[in-house]
Amino acid sequence: MLQGKRTPLYDWHVAHAATMTDFAGWDMPVWYPTGAVAEHRTVITNAGLFDTSHMCAVAISGPGAFDLLQLCVTKDLNACVGTVKRPLQPGDGVFGAYLNDKGELIDDTILYMIAEGMYLSVVNAGHGTEIAQHLTAHVGDKDVQVEEVSSKVGKIDLQGPLSAKILEKLLQEPLKVLDNMQYFGFKGYFEDRPRPDDVRLRDGTPIMLSRTGFTGEFGFEILVSRDRLLPVWEMILPAGQDLGLITCGLAARDSLRAGGLLPLSHQDMGPWPFINNPWTFVLPFDDEDKSFTKKFIGDVVLAERDQAEHTYAFVGYDPRKVSGKGLSVVIDSGGNEIGVVLTCVSDMAIGLSGDRIYSIGSPDKPKDFKPAGLSCGFVRVKTPLVLGQEVELRDSRRTIRVRIVDDVRPDRTARRPMKDML
Amino acid sequence: MIDTSQLILPDDLRYAEDHEWARLEGDKVRVGISDFAQQQLGDITFVELPNVGDSFGKGQQFGAVESTKAVSDLFMPIGGEILEVNQAIRESPELVNQDPYGDGWMILVKPTRADEMNQLMTKDAYLDMVGRTE
Repeated sequence: MLQGKRTPLYDWHVAHAATMTDFAGWDMPVWYPTGAVAEHRTVITNAGLFDTSHMCAVAISGPGAFDLLQLCVTKDLNACVGTVKRPLQPGDGVFGAYLNDKGELIDDTILYMIAEGMYLSVVNAGHGTEIAQHLTAHVGDKDVQVEEVSSKVGKIDLQGPLSAKILEKLLQEPLKVLDNMQYFGFKGYFEDRPRPDDVRLRDGTPIMLSRTGFTGEFGFEILVSRDRLLPVWEMILPAGQDLGLITCGLAARDSLRAGGLLPLSHQDMGPWPFINNPWTFVLPFDDEDKSFTKKFIGDVVLAERDQAEHTYAFVGYDPRKVSGKGLSVVIDSGGNEIGVVLTCVSDMAIGLSGDRIYSIGSPDKPKDFKPAGLSCGFVRVKTPLVLGQEVELRDSRRTIRVRIVDDVRPDRTARRPMKDML
Repeated sequence: MIDTSQLILPDDLRYAEDHEWARLEGDKVRVGISDFAQQQLGDITFVELPNVGDSFGKGQQFGAVESTKAVSDLFMPIGGEILEVNQAIRESPELVNQDPYGDGWMILVKPTRADEMNQLMTKDAYLDMVGRTE
């Protein structure tokens, strides 16, 4: 077997008895001895720490950076922040996608505006070079430099409602840093670079602290210089110990994000028209959802709206799963095969009580609520379905009944005001 | 990677190639999955069990165990009739991880042919097989 790529935390994971798995060519922890269920639940009740240093980053800088990104990223950077849709400013991150000229996904990204003429695009494992090449191919006569910086950056995700309390112990001037930090806002940079809102850990390590994540829960992505990754990881863990912080692997990340309605790039969205899915908020629709507010690569996708397939979230009635990644079919009430299953996992922090889904994080959950877990994920189908509609998912082993929904795990914490989390 | 020296494999059980264990209790046989199996599967989230009164031949599927990682079929280590199923693991499937030979048992069988037990592996033979698959 070929040895996968290793993050700077690989030896730490192995020394702490993580079960390792291949993910996009990387040897990554899938769970630690605590197990994926406990890891998933701990992120909802306390906090979890994830090594996400397999992800890639591309720096885009120069006077032409804005124009290049406005051409290549789906979001309208002049109107993308908050409900008022203000322009992207330094200190803002935004979730967007790169499409090809057919309107199919190349990768999704969180794009950060570091400073005027300076951006950082965080993309998925194994896709940094591809995105850097895609951007470079569209530079034209613009004065802009595109550089993949994946080998310089390490990333740790600290996720869960107690994340800010953990950071309070670790940051220089914690309240100044955290105060009023908005969802998708960030401060600092992963190396000593000119940003007015320098963020440092107590030992002086500069970090880029972003109020984002891939769990649906409150938390942060922490970007640091790759050579500082291990000391930062080993600094965060003891600081979080009394608050119940544990390390989490990719299995918990996958189940948390699915219950949080977040797509896995190249599984839930991929080489098919990026339209008619739960994430079209990354497209620059006008107020009437009829046309786009800018021209960009892939904007032809709007014309695909009537004939393109549809992607929906679903939830089951117990934790039983079928295979994802296109290996299971979707069957309607008439017995017709109408599509495929993209993701199917179990969110083990939720369960049914009557016909309502509760989470262990639900403030009004029934007394003695014990989450049995529910299967959930995404399907891609030829014909439109309506919310609440039941379909069957079938693989070679079993058939499960699920219903189409617009949300899965209730009472998620990702968007809670910072003042409630300190 | 699993350290086979850390596996708990009781001496009084017999083991099947598909990682079920069987324990002779008088004229009945109790069945579950091995410590190796539960470690390989990761956290168990659901167990599908047969109905009391069902009968299966040796090697036939009697249920399935679902984990965060995968779904695995369960096969009869010995043919017979299902006398009892462990209701507790329907409510608390984590018992299979926590106590695979005790509270995490799965079915109690009235064997058709008790001598089928002799076709199953001893602890040493099972450990040898597991070591080879590593």
